[in-house]
Amino acid sequence: MKKFFALLKVSVKSMLLSSTNARGRSKKKAVSGVGAVVLIAFLGLYLSGLYSSMLMGVLAPVHMEVLVFIFMGMAALVGGLMFTTFAVKGVVFGGKDNDLLLSMPVSSTMLMASRVSAIYLENLLFAFFVLVPAGAVCAFMTQSGVGHSLLFWVRLIVAVLALPLLDTALSVLLGALVAFLSAKVSRGALGQNIVMALYMVAVFWFVFHLNGMIEGLAANAAGVKQSLSWAAPLLWMGDGIMGDWGFLLAFAACCIVPFVLVVFGLGRVYRQAVTAFAARSARNDYRLSAQSASGQNKALLAKEAKRFFGTPMYMWNSGTGLIMLVAAGVAALVMKDDLREFIAMMGGDFPAALAVAVVMGFSLSMCAIAAPSISLEGKYLWILREAPVGEGTLIWIKAGFQLLLSVPCTIIAGVCLASALQISLWEGTVLLAAALLFNVAHAAFGMLVGLAFPKLDAVNETVIIKQSLATTLGIFVPMAAVGACALLYWLGGMLAPWAAPALPVALLVVLAVVCAAVLARRGPAMLQAL
Amino acid sequence: MLRIEHYSKTYPGGKKAVDDLTLHVRPGEIYGFIGHNGAGKTTTLRAVAGVMDFTEGTITIDGHDIKKDPVGAKRVTAFLPDNPDLYEFMKGIDYLNFIADLYGIPADQRTKDIAKFGDAFELTGNLGSPIGSYSHGMRQKLALISAFIRRPRLLILDEPFVGLDPAASHLMKGYLAELCQSGSAVFFSTHVLEVAEKLCHQIAIIKDGRLVKCGPTEQLVGDSSLENVFLELEGEK
Repeated sequence: MKKFFALLKVSVKSMLLSSTNARGRSKKKAVSGVGAVVLIAFLGLYLSGLYSSMLMGVLAPVHMEVLVFIFMGMAALVGGLMFTTFAVKGVVFGGKDNDLLLSMPVSSTMLMASRVSAIYLENLLFAFFVLVPAGAVCAFMTQSGVGHSLLFWVRLIVAVLALPLLDTALSVLLGALVAFLSAKVSRGALGQNIVMALYMVAVFWFVFHLNGMIEGLAANAAGVKQSLSWAAPLLWMGDGIMGDWGFLLAFAACCIVPFVLVVFGLGRVYRQAVTAFAARSARNDYRLSAQSASGQNKALLAKEAKRFFGTPMYMWNSGTGLIMLVAAGVAALVMKDDLREFIAMMGGDFPAALAVAVVMGFSLSMCAIAAPSISLEGKYLWILREAPVGEGTLIWIKAGFQLLLSVPCTIIAGVCLASALQISLWEGTVLLAAALLFNVAHAAFGMLVGLAFPKLDAVNETVIIKQSLATTLGIFVPMAAVGACALLYWLGGMLAPWAAPALPVALLVVLAVVCAAVLARRGPAMLQAL
Repeated sequence: MLRIEHYSKTYPGGKKAVDDLTLHVRPGEIYGFIGHNGAGKTTTLRAVAGVMDFTEGTITIDGHDIKKDPVGAKRVTAFLPDNPDLYEFMKGIDYLNFIADLYGIPADQRTKDIAKFGDAFELTGNLGSPIGSYSHGMRQKLALISAFIRRPRLLILDEPFVGLDPAASHLMKGYLAELCQSGSAVFFSTHVLEVAEKLCHQIAIIKDGRLVKCGPTEQLVGDSSLENVFLELEGEK
């Protein structure tokens, strides 16, 4: 066990350090890492608390609080899978220290268990942020007294500890499949992208399905619960949290058994799996033909595109916001009658433009393409630094690549949403201008945090894209800016009708100008100093 | 071709990696840079390549000051670190084209040179595969090809023989000589003293960040061997 904990310590330390640029014991750097975790925790708790309270408002009056835990459990499971499946390829099977650790006198099962435990901790964090707020909401909003006893919290904690075991087992299996495809399919990135696209389609289907169920919740909560029989373990979890110890034990067993089977099953073949997944032999059948030339900027942009589209982890984490944005626009057009009916129900004062702006702002915030791009250079940074290209060009190409992807998506989604919701031409133009300003500010800010908090020695791409401080700030600070814009819209509306859109647009102009100016003035020196 | 004048590099914390180094490499010369581990060789080479900033002194390549005109200096330079990490998400041919685009190499010239060096290093057949599938030696060869197709005025190499098979090493020595005959210069570090002695026109020996001896190879070695001279200067003989 001593060896296991030593290995686990290495994995956990690596995970914790991955969110900072720390290389020593600098208190300032450690604080910045803790700050990132606190920020994620706060936002996780806030978002989960919000959705739980919305559901609880409908379900508590009909004494069906159990459904909140079932839905939140599903959210934790699906979200955890989405976050960790691709991390498994890097953390469990593709760690740079695999050669070192496999050469040491420890069993491969123990090594596998320590790696998987790191994934479990990440899932545990997510399950905690999703289920605990649901419990707190239940305790405050329940009309049947559920949530007021200590035993309720004990059962909830058991569920919080158990659910990530199931999540981890599933993500390790899926991650192994992704690693296998990467190694065996000649165009590994394409194979992984197809897997992830199918996965996203399933998630979108699940979300739409869920929305349909939520609509009929108040009228037929019991029926909805019955229709969820395909998710039996989560039903057991819900019933267990609500007081049935038998169901809770059944749920725990459902989580523990797959986890143990995965750890011991894959652990027995861990060495073989790592070897097989790493083995990629170069083909020897290339025939050189006449090559074509292009300019520096085009070559640098093409390189950014190759990295983005050729690294599924990067594309699906940093590009999800854009996919959601376009999907929201297209879905709004398809379901425009339902949406207009909904807006009519909300009354004439419903700020449709603001709602669209917030949806677009949050989706765009998730598109942190520039923020991790400097850290992703990592060991390759020497190539750009020895090239006859100015530092200014390099950073603007990186920021420009984000804009190249985000601006067309913004225009498509903006036009679709404005048209579906019958937003006036004037409001639509202001909305689009605001969204474009947000794009500029976001890309420039992303580059700045990427330069300020580089993680050039990361163990793998996963820790940079998913856990680095630059990515965290590159997502959550823009989200806070969206919140500030919404607040200014509300405050402006109290002053004068014209001030409602003018104040947030003014803020976005300032943010775009300041971020772009600071990047232009300080960026090259920051890159040179790395 | 390369003028290093009173170059010093101090790391944060006050440690002086290189102290007041002055060194000149003329066109057509192969210049060897020798020293024990941590002597300051890589630090110097990285500063010359414009990859790393430095504290004092000036470095000029073909008339371009690396601090004042870094882009101009880099345009005539090719640098290869001791362990060249290349973009694993690119195919070999994509990497060569990427480098060629950054250096503005015309299409017909790059096609000719890629064919010449690719065939010579027996890598042409592998150029369609992702670099991630390459062995260490193949990556080293690809990095070398990417340097040669630039036809650099100054080629900077950090431990270029590490990881190369004997045939590739022999080939590389031939191409270094060919490059120098065309008026370019080569500045490289190595621990393989026999190769340095045979290949280099000039040699500099650095110890603890200070230049302890430099000059034409024949004068420096005299009747002894480079190994003996090196060990004597290092105080190990």
